[in-house]
Amino acid sequence: MIRFDAVSKNYPNGTTAVDELSLELAEGGITVLVGPSGCGKTTTLRMINRMVEPTAGTVSLRGQDIRDVHAPELRRGIGYVIQHAGLFPHRTILDNIATVPLLLGWSKKKARARAAELLELVGLPAEMATRYPNQLSGGQQQRVGVARALGADPPVLLMDEPFSAVDPIVRAELQAEFIRLQKELHKTIVFVTHDIDEAIKLGDNIAVFRTGGKLAQFDTPERLLAHPADDFVAGFVGQDRGIRRLSFVKAGEVPLREGPVLTTTTAVAQARATDEPWILVVDDARRPLGWVEAAAIPQGGTLADATLTPLGHTFSLVGDSARAALDAALLSPSRLAVGVDVDGAVIGVVDAYELSAVIAVAKAEAAAGTTDGGDA
Amino acid sequence: MNDLLNQLRLVSDWLTSSQQWHGAEGIPQRLLEHLTYSGVSLLFAALIGLTFGLLVGHTGRGAFAVASVANLARAIPTFGLVVLVVTLAGLSTTPVLIALTALAVPPILINTFEGVRGVDPATRDAARGVGMTEWEVLVKVEVPMALPLILLGLRVAAIQIVATATVAAYPGLGGLGRFIVDGLSRNDYELVIGGSTVVVVLALLVQIAFTALRRVIVSPGLRVSASRS
Repeated sequence: MIRFDAVSKNYPNGTTAVDELSLELAEGGITVLVGPSGCGKTTTLRMINRMVEPTAGTVSLRGQDIRDVHAPELRRGIGYVIQHAGLFPHRTILDNIATVPLLLGWSKKKARARAAELLELVGLPAEMATRYPNQLSGGQQQRVGVARALGADPPVLLMDEPFSAVDPIVRAELQAEFIRLQKELHKTIVFVTHDIDEAIKLGDNIAVFRTGGKLAQFDTPERLLAHPADDFVAGFVGQDRGIRRLSFVKAGEVPLREGPVLTTTTAVAQARATDEPWILVVDDARRPLGWVEAAAIPQGGTLADATLTPLGHTFSLVGDSARAALDAALLSPSRLAVGVDVDGAVIGVVDAYELSAVIAVAKAEAAAGTTDGGDA
Repeated sequence: MNDLLNQLRLVSDWLTSSQQWHGAEGIPQRLLEHLTYSGVSLLFAALIGLTFGLLVGHTGRGAFAVASVANLARAIPTFGLVVLVVTLAGLSTTPVLIALTALAVPPILINTFEGVRGVDPATRDAARGVGMTEWEVLVKVEVPMALPLILLGLRVAAIQIVATATVAAYPGLGGLGRFIVDGLSRNDYELVIGGSTVVVVLALLVQIAFTALRRVIVSPGLRVSASRS
């Protein structure tokens, strides 16, 4: 789909931004370019839409050398999202989103109808259409930036650190939204970030660059964590890559035990009879309400009278990974993570020690994958 | 205090006497001449100032030259320039127009240049990145974003021209300067103050016109005080 053939970018002052890069990016997936600053990842991205012209080598898109296409025309067919959104401050949100359709000569009416559709797609309310960028928060502006890039429904999307200028909570929101969007749209996305966590979270494939514009490793996130090609990659993916690997274990595979789960109508006497230090109190539908410490159970009545300690958070057996389970366990007052089903009803609990067994299994499987799978 | 009241009475007597409002020596005729000199010079100055301001602002080439030329031009005394051009070119309207144009180019040039150059590089990058040609980047992004400064330059230039067009009377031409020059030579202060008042009012009207224009053509998205929601 997108192919780099021995591509280099050298600047007159002698610096090499990209050094003999050869890389082929598959259609329909998210490829993340990651590395420390000055590693050439942004330059690589910008060579795809000719914002930067290579000094040597060829970049081709769907088999065609991109130098054969007039740059503005090429760019209209490729979505482009940048760090601070780069919205046009003098245009309304709707007209910002309609930019590319209008450049392509669509009628105003058709372009605006398309823009209204995209506004909804990126999760912004319709009344934002008539506002101006300076009336929006950073996160909202970034959503508009994504909508603008999708304007003419391009097959390829280039994203240059799109979520790095917003605060961590908004970033997590935007990332989740981005994953949802991609499930719907199946674009070929090239995504630049310096944040390895973001790369692992979003990438189908990850290209790790090292300073000097050299490609250090191109692999799936799982294999990158399990088998870093060298010390640089190992150092870059970090010391806690064991924990990161839990991201690839589905929460549904985590072994749960029933645990001390009691409803609010349970008599206190019965609760006291259990031998557990903490009891999880649930409602009639088994939705968790909170923990109660055995020592703090009142003398009479039911568990509805007990003072509950908040849960922290639960993890979902359908959508979450084992990493969410581990996090839930560490934050839980009872050290037990609560696993729930789609309706939020408690299925069972697990502690951090039991989760470490999952890590060991995942590690063994990954090791087995190396011998069987070759360089898959 | 009495002086001020006297002057006000002089002005109002002069402005209200019917002879001022008729004939070749009347206010309407002089105002028309004044506006013609001003309008023509502003037009030429805008053509020169906007063209070079946009060109240099967009390409980034020649920024130093623009700043130097503009500062140099600002240092030239208009009156001296008129005398110089009249001496060289003879007694006609042209030297006056050249002098007024030269006076008005620097503020237009500098502000247009600064306005375009001041566009956020990220916005310009995004404009190119979504597929705008260089001409589209200029017309659809840089000019609208630079508009507040471009209008400021035009306004400063227009007010300077309107105020300075009075020098046209020195080489014997018309315009509102006629009243002031004639009044001074005849020791007729009623005439001097009356003429000056009309010039001041005209400058105020120019100011008001530009403020109104700004409201109409500058995007609300560029107003600094836009409320966050």
